[in-house]
Parts: sequence; structure tokens; C-alpha cells
Amino acid sequence: MGGIVKVVRKEERINAARVCIATIAALAAFAANAQTGKPSDLAELSLEELADLEITSVSRRAERLSDAPASVFVITGDDIRRSGATSLPEALRLAPNLEVARVDSRQYAISARGFNNTIANKLLVLIDGRTVYTPLFSGVFWDAQDTLLEDVDRIEVMSGPGATLWGANAVNGVINVITRGAAETQGTLLVAGAGNLERGAAARQGGKLGADGAFRVYGKISDRSHTSLADGTSAQDSWNSGQAGFRADWGTGAGAFTLQGDAYRGTIDQAAPGDGRISGGNVLARWARQLSGGDRVQVQAYFDNSEREIPGTFAERLNIFDVEFQHALRVGQQHSVIWGGGHRQADDHVSNTAALAFVPADRTLTWTNLFVQDEVALRGDQLRLTLGTKAESNPYTGTEFLPSARIAWKPDASRLVWSALSRAVRAPARLDRELFVPGQPPFFLAGGPDFQSEIAKVLELGYRAQPSRRASYSVTVFHSVYDHLRSLEPGPAGALVIGNKMEGKATGIEAWGSLQAAEKWRLSAGLLVLDQNLHLKPDSGDTTGVAAAGNDPKHQWSLRSSLDLPGRQECDVMVRYVGPLPSPSVPGYTALDARYAWHFERGLELALIAQDLFDRSHAEFAAPPAPPSEIERGLFLKLRWSL
Amino acid sequence: MVALTLRLCALVASLAAMASISALAQVDRTAAETRIKAAFLYKFSAFVEWPGRAFAGPESPFTIGVIGADELAADLEQIVKGRTVLERAVVVRRMRRGESVEGIQMLFIGQAEGARLTEILASAKGQSVLTVTESEDALSHGSMINFVSVDDKVRFDVALPQAERGALRISARLLAVARKVLTSS
Repeated sequence: MGGIVKVVRKEERINAARVCIATIAALAAFAANAQTGKPSDLAELSLEELADLEITSVSRRAERLSDAPASVFVITGDDIRRSGATSLPEALRLAPNLEVARVDSRQYAISARGFNNTIANKLLVLIDGRTVYTPLFSGVFWDAQDTLLEDVDRIEVMSGPGATLWGANAVNGVINVITRGAAETQGTLLVAGAGNLERGAAARQGGKLGADGAFRVYGKISDRSHTSLADGTSAQDSWNSGQAGFRADWGTGAGAFTLQGDAYRGTIDQAAPGDGRISGGNVLARWARQLSGGDRVQVQAYFDNSEREIPGTFAERLNIFDVEFQHALRVGQQHSVIWGGGHRQADDHVSNTAALAFVPADRTLTWTNLFVQDEVALRGDQLRLTLGTKAESNPYTGTEFLPSARIAWKPDASRLVWSALSRAVRAPARLDRELFVPGQPPFFLAGGPDFQSEIAKVLELGYRAQPSRRASYSVTVFHSVYDHLRSLEPGPAGALVIGNKMEGKATGIEAWGSLQAAEKWRLSAGLLVLDQNLHLKPDSGDTTGVAAAGNDPKHQWSLRSSLDLPGRQECDVMVRYVGPLPSPSVPGYTALDARYAWHFERGLELALIAQDLFDRSHAEFAAPPAPPSEIERGLFLKLRWSL
Repeated sequence: MVALTLRLCALVASLAAMASISALAQVDRTAAETRIKAAFLYKFSAFVEWPGRAFAGPESPFTIGVIGADELAADLEQIVKGRTVLERAVVVRRMRRGESVEGIQMLFIGQAEGARLTEILASAKGQSVLTVTESEDALSHGSMINFVSVDDKVRFDVALPQAERGALRISARLLAVARKVLTSS
């Protein structure tokens, strides 16, 4: 997994624990290269890239995204601002290597390389190093994941297995949301916006903490309208939420300490039997130290509480404690090693209802991992081989091994060919083993006491090039072989029992590129092609078919134009096409999103944002038994004042 | 939980002992910072519009003056070698104190100039010279762009009124990358 490593290394200071590892590995790799970068190499970087360079990383060599031997797309903070996105899931639409489907007012189905579902479970999501998936189903409750988008530095989206560094769950991808350091978010920021689909306001205040420290605090509230069903009636899914948080950073590049936290609360409208509620809070501490020769250590620990009460369905109170350690070092002239370990404990309490039950209702789950990765410089910087494995124990299947091998060939500064072979597993979640529907026998659906890990073996081949200063592109071809995928097998007393009797293959292409067509005009494009072939094993008795595994388009593409106009105005247009979903059937759609912004004196920005401008409404995903919600055309006026 | 906390504390304690080694990295760091600033100077030229009168003639080179920053000047010379700005050749001029800013389009004043910063900035005031500095409070003394080290990165603040006085137009893209943009003095 040298891949994201490099990206990070180049991009910014270490923010997330695992990201840190990567950075470290990268730094170490540089040190192995005796030649430091020439100043003229730096001049090839964009303004944004220069502003993102870690001084300490450049002191070894300027690194570029084009060095990552993985399918990584980076959404920058500026991309998010110019997209007009008002939530993390909406911002993720910018990544060509992700499937993002809005299910209703607050739920999203988000995945990479297939298996998309509201309970998608093969994508790992981190916010500033904090893993945000729930052990209930190994997926993400997107309505509870928020931060002040204006303070997001970048979102790194890696499609493909990242298990060697990130562990089980990073089967088909990793999303790293990385916020800016507190020193970069000084002063006051006020944001307010209103539209037909949502209203919101946010404020942030940053300041200094002594000579070497800085802090920020923020608060935000939002209110989202309900969606409508195809017949025009309300889906009764409006919701509102509020979140507050802080971040404090001390130190310099040589050593840094970060303390940050968030707390949120939300109310969800529900037709019957009553409103739902979500709330939670987290606090994270991270300490990183740059050692001599590019070596680096980092320790991170966090506590994360989340509560969710959906009357009639279930209620959950989850407390997670997580601690991680990483060390990156150089061994000899050729080896850049990163190793580390972590321990995670989740205390999960579910209040069962007549509709469904988790048995036992209360569980304490623990995961422990150790990993090591070695990046070997075979022919200077031209050929690099990265070998690594992680051993991770989980409460259900014991210890799983997650090895990977990556090779990168860089014939010259502007081209990179890479290939990777990885094994990743999706370890069982509570849902797989402990879910029972309805809440009392006789059960219609029962967790599988013998449910094993789902396994993916993935071969990837990628090419990345920057033919000129103005253009760059990336193409990745992947072939994944899956085994032990979740199926529903006939069990005793007519119940369906969760089993592992589905298998299959997926082949696909991920491609994107950008072109600075003129000094003030940037064009970007993305393409996703997925050919998935899943089937039940001969001894399976599953009569529901393979639909439960996910619902994915075969094609998806996007085109984006960012134009700076005279008078400090900006015009952004994005056209995106998502192909039809097979089962349950959802027609394909093309949406045109646009944003026009005016910048005034004193840091004032006014933006008019339209989502799906040319279509009154369309469905993006269906999650039966609920009828699909129609996602309406959205108009939003946003005021942002940076003092 | 207690056991985990203890384990964490033990780790932190053993790691802290290694901290002193990191001072060695400092020398490298300064060189890197200089190099990044030099790259920025070159990049800035693409995001600023100079009025026609800023150049003596169509064949005049694009000249970047550097004062009080020899290492940066050396890095910048390497960068501009073989490159053009606004379809003009690029020249790096190492300047002495008191030298006129006549014929230069961009002026970098290094921290080494210290208190003389104000005086040098005053000599460029009102001219179509993009002044770039790396000193605290330099914007309040008339500089247009000032580098700051933030979070182990080189960032910069921009003072628009000064640039406007020099009839320079700074593009929104550059402003978007800036840490702070001052719009009134």
C-alpha cells in the first residue's frame, strides 16, 4: 500500500493515524533516494499543490500524487467549495471512483467497485483518522457524519483494497476526510444558506494558543426538507441536526500534538410510531514526532460515542475506544519500513424492538492488529516494490491476514505504471451473526452462527501520466475475485439464515483526467465502468438471488468545468451520468449541477447553487420495502463571510 | 480501558526520549522552505496581471528582484532557467540596498533585511511591482504578498489594496490559495 502513502506524503502533514503511516513510509522512501529534488521540479506543481506541500517532506524530495501506486483521487477543499456541496456525501460525488446515490433526505448508498447498498460494507471511511463505520453492519450511517465542510482540507478517495494499512473493511476502498490544521483556520467564518431542499448556518472562530499552538471552534445547524415519492406524496423523512466541535494543534513539523472533538444531535421525522433521534460525540488525541533521517512515529487515541433511536426499528448506544501506534523508518539504503499496531474496543448496546433484534443485545467487541510494510527501491526511484501484511483479530473469525504486493515503475518524471495484488477480507459484523427479524420467533431472518469473512482477491493495473503542465490523467483496470459473499440460506423452521454461499468476479475501469484549458478554465472528466458477475454457489438455497449484494450501475461518467470570470466571479458546471440500476430497477439519469459565485470586498462570497438543474426530480436508489424517494431539483443560495 | 490508557502512556514516554534527535532535521527544513518560496514566486507570475507600462518594451524581460535572500535567488535562477513568463525571458536580479526598482516586475525582500523592510517597500510603493515578503506584519508596511509558515507548510497572505495601488490585478485562483486576503488597509 505504498500508494496512498505517497499521496499523503506529498499532500500534507499527517492528520489521520493511518494516513500518517503512509506518509511516514513515503518519507522513508525518499530518504532512500540520495538525490534531493531540484527547485525546478517544484515549479511544476500547481499553486494549490505548493501550498499543500509539507516542508519536512520536501526536505527529502517533492512528491506528487502521480507517484501513488493505487487508484487515488483527491477532492480538494477548493473543489468542495466550488461544487456547492453542503454535506460530506454530496462532496463525495466529485470522486469519479465512487458510487454515490442519495436514497432519501438523509440516507445515502456509497460504495466503490460495486456492492452499493444502504448497508454497503466494503468501504472504510475515516474523518481525521477516526474510523466512522458502525460494527452493526460494517457500514456508515451517513446522517451522523458531518464536519464544517469549509474546514476540510481534502478528501482522499482510494478505490481498491487498502487492507494492509487500513485493515478489514477496506475491501473496495478507503475514504479519508482530512480537515485543515487549526493554524490554517484562523479568524472568523460565517456561512449561511437557504434553498428548497435545505437550510443551514455555521460559524467558526479560530485563534492562537501561545507561541506554537492554534485552535478553532465551530458550530453548525441544518434543516433538511422531506423528499417526495413518485406519486407526489411526502416521504416524511425531513430532519434537522446541529453539530459543534473544536480542534487544537500544537507544535511544528518536527513534532505535533492535536486534540479535537465533535458533538452532534439530530431529529428525524418519521411517519409512525414517532420521531427518530441521533446524537453522539468524539474526542481524539494525536501525537506525531519527526525523527532524524525521515523516521517518524505517531500515536493516536480516540473515544467515540454514538446513539441512534429509530422508534419501531431499533435503538443503539455505541461507545468505541481506539488506540493506534505507527513507526516509519529506513533500513539500509533500500528499505522504507512502516510498522504499527492498534486496538479497538466497541461496547454496543441495542434496544430491540418487535421489528428486529440483535442477540445478544449487548456486546463488547474487540479488534487488535499488527502490520508491517516494506517499500524496496529496486532501481533507484524508477522501480519500487511494496510488500506488506496486516494481521487483524476480530471477535468472530479470529485472526485474518491481509497481505498486498505493489510494484511501481516510473520511467520518467511524468509517467507511472503500477500494479498491485491484494487480499482483503470483510470481517463479520453484528448484522451477519446476531440479527434476527422479527424481534421474536418465529424468525423470518436469522444471523448465521457460522458466518465467515467475505474474501476479495484483487489484481489492479494502473497508468498515470502528466503529458504537459496543463494536463494529467489516470487509468486503472481492476479484476476482483470474491468468495464467501453473504447469501440467505434456508434454515430451520422456514427462517432464512445468513450464509456465505455467493461468489463472483468484478472487472472494471476507473479513469479520470483534468485539463487546464486556459489560465482560468479547468476541465475535469471521470469515467467508471463496472462488469460484475456474481452468482450463488451450487449448494446454495438462496432464492432471493444476488440482488441483496448490491445495486450498481454498469457505467457512470462526469464532466466538470471550473471557470474564473472577470470581476472575481466563478462559474462551475458539472454534468454527471449514472447508469440504470438493475435490481430493484432504477432508471439511469443525467444531472447538471451548477454554481455561480460572486466575491465581494471583505471576504464576502455569494453563491447560487443548482442541483439537477434540468430535471424536476429523479430517483437515485431504491431500498425496499420503502418506496424510492425522488430527489428533487435543488436551488440553494449561500453566503460565506470570512473575516 | 485503564490498561489501554496505561499502555498508551508507556508508549508516549518511550517515544519522547527520541524527540531530541529531531533537531537535526532543522537545517534541511530551512532549505526546503526557501525552495518552496522560490517556486511560489515563479508561479505567482502566472496569476497576476501587470499593466503594459510595467514593461519598458515588448522585448523587455520579466525581471524578479531579490534582496536579502541569496539562497532563494539561487533557487529561483534554477527554476526560471529555460522558462518564460508572459512570453518574455525571465531574469533574476540580485539587488543591493538603495537600488531602484525600475524595470522589475516582482520584488522579493528576504527576512535578512530586517528593519530596512519598510524603507524598501516604500521605494516600491505605487509602482507596478509585486512585492513579496516573509516577515511578520509586512503587509501592514505595504507588502502585497507575505509568506507565512503554517502547520509545516508555506502559505501566504495577500493585501489587495496595495496591489491595486500598483495597478496589479491578482487572479481569484491565487486568492483562493491564500491563507488570508486583506481587502482594506
